[in-house]
Amino acid sequence: MIETFYAREALQSPAAFLTAFTIGIFFGLSLERAGFGSSKRLAGIFYFRDMTVLKVMFTGLLTAMIGLSYFIALGLVPPDGVYMMPTIYGAQIVGGLIFGVGFVMGGWCPGTAVVGLASGSMDAFVFLGGAAAGSALFSETYGWMKPLASAGEAGVKMAYDGIGTSKAGFAFAFTLCAIACFWGSEYIEKVRSGKGEYFNTPFLRAFCVAMVVAAGGLFLFPEATTSAGARQTATAIDSPSEIALLQEIADGKDHISPVELADRLISNPSSVMLVDVRSAEEFAAFHIKGAVNAPLPDLPAVVSARPAGAIVVLCSNGMVHPAQARDALDRLGYRDVYILTDGIDGFIRTCLKPASLRPEPVSVEMAGRIRAWRAWYLDEGHAPPAPSAASAVSQARQTRVISAEELAGMVGKPGLKVVDCREQPAYNTSHVPGSIRLSIESLRGTIGGVPSMLLPKELLAAHISALGIEKSDMVVVIGEQPRDATFFCMALDRLAHENYAILDGGFGRWKAEGRPTDSRLPEINAASYGVSDGADGFTVSFSDVLNSSKGNSAVILDVRPAENYRGEKTDEARAGRIPGAVNRPYTEDVAASEGYSSLKSADDLAKAYAAVIPSKNTPVIVYCRTGHQASQTFFVLKHILGYSDVRWYDGGWTEWAARQELPVEK
Amino acid sequence: MDSEKPHPVSNPYLAGVMLGLTLLASFLFLGVGLGASAGIARFAAFAEGCVAPRHVASSEYFGAWGSNPLSYYLVVMMAGTFFGGLFSALLANRMKMRVEKGVSCSRGRRMSLALVGGIIVGFASRLAGGCTSGQALTGGALLLTGSLIFLICLFAGGYAAAYPLRRQWHD
Repeated sequence: MIETFYAREALQSPAAFLTAFTIGIFFGLSLERAGFGSSKRLAGIFYFRDMTVLKVMFTGLLTAMIGLSYFIALGLVPPDGVYMMPTIYGAQIVGGLIFGVGFVMGGWCPGTAVVGLASGSMDAFVFLGGAAAGSALFSETYGWMKPLASAGEAGVKMAYDGIGTSKAGFAFAFTLCAIACFWGSEYIEKVRSGKGEYFNTPFLRAFCVAMVVAAGGLFLFPEATTSAGARQTATAIDSPSEIALLQEIADGKDHISPVELADRLISNPSSVMLVDVRSAEEFAAFHIKGAVNAPLPDLPAVVSARPAGAIVVLCSNGMVHPAQARDALDRLGYRDVYILTDGIDGFIRTCLKPASLRPEPVSVEMAGRIRAWRAWYLDEGHAPPAPSAASAVSQARQTRVISAEELAGMVGKPGLKVVDCREQPAYNTSHVPGSIRLSIESLRGTIGGVPSMLLPKELLAAHISALGIEKSDMVVVIGEQPRDATFFCMALDRLAHENYAILDGGFGRWKAEGRPTDSRLPEINAASYGVSDGADGFTVSFSDVLNSSKGNSAVILDVRPAENYRGEKTDEARAGRIPGAVNRPYTEDVAASEGYSSLKSADDLAKAYAAVIPSKNTPVIVYCRTGHQASQTFFVLKHILGYSDVRWYDGGWTEWAARQELPVEK
Repeated sequence: MDSEKPHPVSNPYLAGVMLGLTLLASFLFLGVGLGASAGIARFAAFAEGCVAPRHVASSEYFGAWGSNPLSYYLVVMMAGTFFGGLFSALLANRMKMRVEKGVSCSRGRRMSLALVGGIIVGFASRLAGGCTSGQALTGGALLLTGSLIFLICLFAGGYAAAYPLRRQWHD
C-alpha cells in the first residue's frame, strides 16, 4: 500500500519538495518533447491546423486515469490518498471560458509557458509576467470575486456518479471518445494542412487497441463496475421493504433531533418511549430522564410493550448500535422507531450544556429553552456524568472565560485550582472558597536588564509548584481587573498549561451574585510542575518587532492609552510609538459594571478587531509599556477570538524607548 | 551544434504517454496531480510581498499563504518543469531566442497579446482553482465533474475567441 505525501500531510517536507522537483523535471521534459515549447503549435488547435495539444493532452489524461484506476482497484493506493478538487460549477465554467480566451490570445498556458521560457521564447516570458499580474489582480479583487469563486460549490463530484454509470463504464466510453478524437485530429490535419502523419497508420491502430484493452480491463474489478445507485441498493434488489428502509435513512426519517425529543418528553411523555441501549452500569451512572434501559436482545419485547401510539427512540453513546437496532426492528415489522441524532452526548451538548459555555452565540429564546431543559432533565438523580473539574471546563477551554455560575458548580471538585490575583488585604478578607492568592508582581522581574519581564519558565514552574498547581489541573484565574487575570494566563501559556480560564467579572461579580465566600486560607500540597525545553513561541524580542515594523509584515498593536501612543505622555526614556503601530487601547475591550469589570462580549470584540486586523491569520504583535495591559489584548485575540498568529512584545515601550538606536514615531 | 537543425518533435502519442506516466507518478508519490499556475501565483504573491509586505500579509487571498509563499511543492515543481524543459530543448537543439507569431502580426502586437492573454489566464486560473495542468489534466484524469466542465469550457472559450485573433497566428 502506497502512502502518499498528501495522505501523510507531508507535502511541505523536504522529501516531498524533492519528489515534486523530480516530477516537475519529467513534466517539463514531456511538454517540451511534445513540442509545447512553441506557442504557434499550441494555438494551432484553435484553427484546426495542429492538433498536437489534443493528442498529447488526451493521451496523458487517459494514461493517468487508467493507470490510477488500476492502482486503486488493486488496493495499492487508497482512494483517499489522492487529493480530489471540489467541483465549483460557477467558478469552473466562467474560469474555463475566460481561460480559453486567454489561451488563444497569449498562445500559452502556464505549464507550457514555463517550458517555452526554458527554450528561449520571449513571448512566453511576457505571458508569464502577465499571468503573475493576473494572479495578483485576482488577489486584489478577491473581495468582489469571492461570490463567483464559490458559486455552485458542490464538493467532490465524480463525473460517472453524476450521470449514474460505473467508473469502468465511464472510463471506457471516455477512452472511445478520445480515440475518435485522435482519428478525427489526424484526419483534420491531413485535410487542412496535408500533415496528419499518423492517420490510419499501423502505429495509431495498435495504440488505440492498446488503450481500449487497458480501459476495458477495468471491468474486471467489481467495485469499478457498480454505479453509485447500484452500490446503495445492491443488497436489496429483491426486497422492496429494504428499499423503503434505505429511502427513510436517506431522507433522515429514521432520526429524531435532541431538541425535538427534549420538548416531546416534557410536553407529552406518554407519546414517546426512550430506550437507552447501553449497559446497565452506564445507564445507572447517567441517563436522560424518562429513559428505560434495555439490552439489544430484549428490544423487540420492550418495544412491543410500548403504550399505544407512542414512538420509540433508541439512544446510546454513539449512533451505530441504535441505527443497527433500528434497522433490525424495522425488518421485524416494528415501525415508528427512531434513533437519537448524535446520541446521548449530542443530547447533552445540544440541550443540557449551559448557554454560557457554548462557543457559538445563543439567542435569548434558545437560552430560555436551555434553562427549561436543564431544570427538567438535570434534577436529582439525573446529573450528567459527574465531570471532574478539568473535563467540565475542557469544553469551556474554547472560550477561556467562565461564568461565576460555572465556577460555583466546580468549587470543591478535585483538580480545580482557583488563583486569586487581587491585592492581599482584599483576598484575606474574603475570597472564593479554596482559592489561592498570587501577586502578579511575583511573576515578573528584570531579565536582561529590562524590568518587568515575565520570568523564565523554570522560575514560573517553581512558583506555581509552591501554589500546589499540577499540569493536569483546571486553573481558574480571578483578577481585580481582567488584565491581572490575563497576565497570569501569559505565565500559564509560557508553561503550556492546558486547562485554564479566567472568571468573567472576577471576584466582584462572584460577590455581586451572592456566591459563597470564605476568609480561611487554603491547604496546599506543594506540587512539582515540570517544564519543557525551548522558548514559549509567542514572546517576541525587540529585534523581531523591528523587523516586522520595517517589513510591514505584522499588524503591530499599541494597546496603551491614546495619549501615550501619540507621544504626548510618557513614563519612559522617550515618547512616541513603534513605527507603523496601530492604537487600540486595552481599556476599549473592558466593560465596567457596578462593582466589577469584565471583558466585552466576544461579538463586540470580534467586530472591533475585524476593523483593525484584516484576517484571523494576519500576524499580530501586541505591546504596551510593561507587557501587563498587552496581556489582555493577547488573551482577547488569541483565546477569545481565535486569531492564529498573535505575539507579545513583553519588553514593550519600556525597552523600546530605552534603546536609543530604535526608531520612534510620533 | 548550431549548424545542426532542430530535431523534429516526438510522436505526440508517446509524449502523451510520458506525460500521463508523470501525472500518475505524481498521484502515487505526492498524492496530488501536476500544477503550474499555482507556482506562478505564489511567485506573484512573493513579488508583491517584496513591494508591499504589509498589504500582502493582510490580503485575504495572498495573505493566506503566509510570510513565505514560495515554500510550496508546486513552486518547486515549476522549477523542475523549467529545468526539464531546458534539458529537453537543449537535447533536441530547439533552444533559441525567439518571438513566435504569424507573418502579418507585428512584434509589438504579439507581445501585447501575450501580456493580456497572460493576465487573463493568470486570473482565470485562480478563479477556477487551476489551469490546463492542475484542473483540466489532473482533475480530468480523476474524472472530476468540475474539472471536465472546465476542460470543455476552456475549449469553448478558445474557439469562440479564435476567429478575431486569427491574424496573430496566420502566416
